[in-house]
Amino acid sequence: MRSASLSIHLAFKLATAFLAVAGSVLLLLALTRLIPGDPATVILGSRATPEAIAALNARIGLDKSLTEQFVGFFGRLLSGDLGEDVFNGRPVLGLVAAALPNTAALAISAMLFAIVLGVPLALLSARWAGRRLDRLIAFLSVGFISTPSFVVSVFLLMVFSVTLRWFPVLGAGESGHLGDQLWHLVLPTAALAAGWVGYIARLLRSSLLEVLSESHIRTLRAYGVSEAKILMKYALKPAVLPTVAVLGMGFGELLGGAVFAEVIFNRPGLGSLIYDAIRTRNYPVVQGGVFIIVLLYVLTNLIADLSQSLIDPRERARLSTGRGGVT
Amino acid sequence: MTFITTRRQLLVGGASIATVVALGGVHPAFASADRSKIVVRVEKDPVNLDPANRSGPVDLNVLWSVQQGLISFKPGSTEWELDAAEELEQVNATEIRFKLRSGLVFTSGYGELTAEDVKFSFERFIKPNAEGKPVTYAKDWSALDRVEVTGLLEGRIILKKPAPALYTIALADGSGRIISKKAFEALGEKEIATKLIGSGPYVLKQWTPRDQFVLEINPDYKGPIKPHFQQIVGKPISEQKTAEIAFQSNEIDFTAIDPENGKTLSALPDASVTQIPAIDYVWFGPNIEKAPFNDIRVRQALRYAVDIDAILQGAYSGLYPRANSLLAPSLLGHWKDAPVYARDLEKAKALLTEAGHADGFKTKLTIEANARYEAIAQIIQANLAEVGIDVEIEALESAAYWALGNNDASKDLELSLIKYNGKFDPGFQTQWFTSAQVGQWNWQRWKNADFDALHEKGGVTVDPAERAKIYIEAQKLLDESAAFIWITHNLNAFASRNWLKPGVLPNGNNWLYTAFSETTA
Repeated sequence: MRSASLSIHLAFKLATAFLAVAGSVLLLLALTRLIPGDPATVILGSRATPEAIAALNARIGLDKSLTEQFVGFFGRLLSGDLGEDVFNGRPVLGLVAAALPNTAALAISAMLFAIVLGVPLALLSARWAGRRLDRLIAFLSVGFISTPSFVVSVFLLMVFSVTLRWFPVLGAGESGHLGDQLWHLVLPTAALAAGWVGYIARLLRSSLLEVLSESHIRTLRAYGVSEAKILMKYALKPAVLPTVAVLGMGFGELLGGAVFAEVIFNRPGLGSLIYDAIRTRNYPVVQGGVFIIVLLYVLTNLIADLSQSLIDPRERARLSTGRGGVT
Repeated sequence: MTFITTRRQLLVGGASIATVVALGGVHPAFASADRSKIVVRVEKDPVNLDPANRSGPVDLNVLWSVQQGLISFKPGSTEWELDAAEELEQVNATEIRFKLRSGLVFTSGYGELTAEDVKFSFERFIKPNAEGKPVTYAKDWSALDRVEVTGLLEGRIILKKPAPALYTIALADGSGRIISKKAFEALGEKEIATKLIGSGPYVLKQWTPRDQFVLEINPDYKGPIKPHFQQIVGKPISEQKTAEIAFQSNEIDFTAIDPENGKTLSALPDASVTQIPAIDYVWFGPNIEKAPFNDIRVRQALRYAVDIDAILQGAYSGLYPRANSLLAPSLLGHWKDAPVYARDLEKAKALLTEAGHADGFKTKLTIEANARYEAIAQIIQANLAEVGIDVEIEALESAAYWALGNNDASKDLELSLIKYNGKFDPGFQTQWFTSAQVGQWNWQRWKNADFDALHEKGGVTVDPAERAKIYIEAQKLLDESAAFIWITHNLNAFASRNWLKPGVLPNGNNWLYTAFSETTA
């Protein structure tokens, strides 16, 4: 009975995820085709003849109806084929596979960076709530949240690349050279994570204060348990639940938000791949790239959702019994 | 709350400090003093390295260094010099005879470059491909009838009609590159696009899409060009600002820049900035099929109402030269005595009143969305407001803007601001203003039979002096129409390390990597 309930929950989540992927990709494909401009004009230059444009469209399959193109895309998808770059015939799967690790590395490192800085800031803020340190952290957090990442990027580049020359401006580092790749990751990570540091600090602080105001915490204090122990051992775990849910969605957003960082830092990632493909109306690359992004977004949300279910004892109990949880 | 420092915390802190100290050193990317290699910024990744289907200057610049033509452009010049050909002779108006150098070999073991390869390379442009489709640049060789092979290394190019532009548009340009027939037959059109086989001074050693390409000196090359740098690394960087920051941080040695930033960059201790007047043509004009612009007096009023010098000051910081006609000063057929229209609001108002628009009218100016064109549009808007013309600005993203050239999509335009890149032959520039281009790239929809005839005549006239006269006459007709208000021919600017001499052609878009060298001073 317990496993059946969990299986139904899982199946429901997977079905929703599948529909979300299919729906989003279909919508995005339709939107891409609605904007004027086509790859033939980009390939042939701004002054190509109509005959040349028509011939090229036929060669790359754009003379077919939209329905045929969509059916073709989803049909090929079943065999793991994302199509070919219209400009040079390179397989889109290869382009996406080459770009994805760079984006994933950036998103993961940004998330870790945000957690490593954000959680201690939240703890300090909650510990000294209403005091000067709390106000300073609040000021910094709101500053981080409200400064656009491209502004942070340019600032970091001017200071750490142009003036100090500590970190490089361009690319993702030499292939196979982990140290160089990490070095190239530092500035884009900081630029992308800055807003999230502030966000985690604020969000977790609120949750911590909520937990700290509960009666069992007062009991612990009455027993003389130290504030540090209360914070770390008794308040952090329940307080972190809402943050985990937000981080799940946040990871998906970081994948999307990496576009700015990738363009500014010239990283050959998935975001910049899609950005360039949209500008040149390279439809197969847009389709393939968006499909992977949506897939990852939905997957990370699914994982966060399931993780939360497993961490939260009330939710765990509800799924195990198949009935409403303890309230 | 009390914090007690433990041994573990001390170790972690020590490691952190060591990391910071280590990071305090200069990253290797900045520290290169290696003069055998240069890093250049390209605006985008190479796309298609088949000369017949190339996609733009980035592809072409790579092709030029890896593949040979019978002739190639001289560094920094619109003139050409012999390349794979040892001799090249214009026998008569429709026949060019050539003799190849001996011992030129293709890379990857595809053997000697012969007249058969020349025939195959050039005739590809007039024959459909395996799928029955013409190659992208078919038009460049539209005058070609056939190439006759008269010996292993000798042949004749036979034209259907005289084509003086062939030298700069095709032979010295990308469409004149010689590919290996054997390689093409082995690899096919699709693979040729990404596997560059050539016989030139450089080989394409490595190409990691969206990261970099590496050109390296071809040890088997036996032609006349002597490349200087052992390696040339191309880094695709689409954002100009990122490129300028990378230049400032010493990660790249050469990049095109916005001329307005030239002063800042030239102030760097190891940098120099080069400016080269371009051969583009930026103008704005009305769709003359639409009222009220079908009345020449309204068009003349526009010309008097707009302050071109204010545009050059406001949108180009006063750095760009003014254009008064279609062809730039460095081109054959430049009309140096073209009238320079000064702003005259009284004349403009009088012309509008005469045309029945004393109270002005509303119109729309369509531009490609970017900061500079938006600045130009705003100045035009302010200028025209002074004579009662109310201008709404419509800014379109690049691909959407250029899509107006497809299927008569431009027919609803009213005013448009346009920039076309130039090539070294005047006939390339005049072709977009012919009647046949209405509905495609002649967005002003201006038709003039005399202009069409002059364009045709210029295309087959061999004598340069006679050609120059023909193109000046053609420009006079453009001027009389008052449908084209010229702004500038543009200005190219480049930042490079002060020990580096770039090999840039006068149009600014094309670079000869083989001509990049160290400065002698």
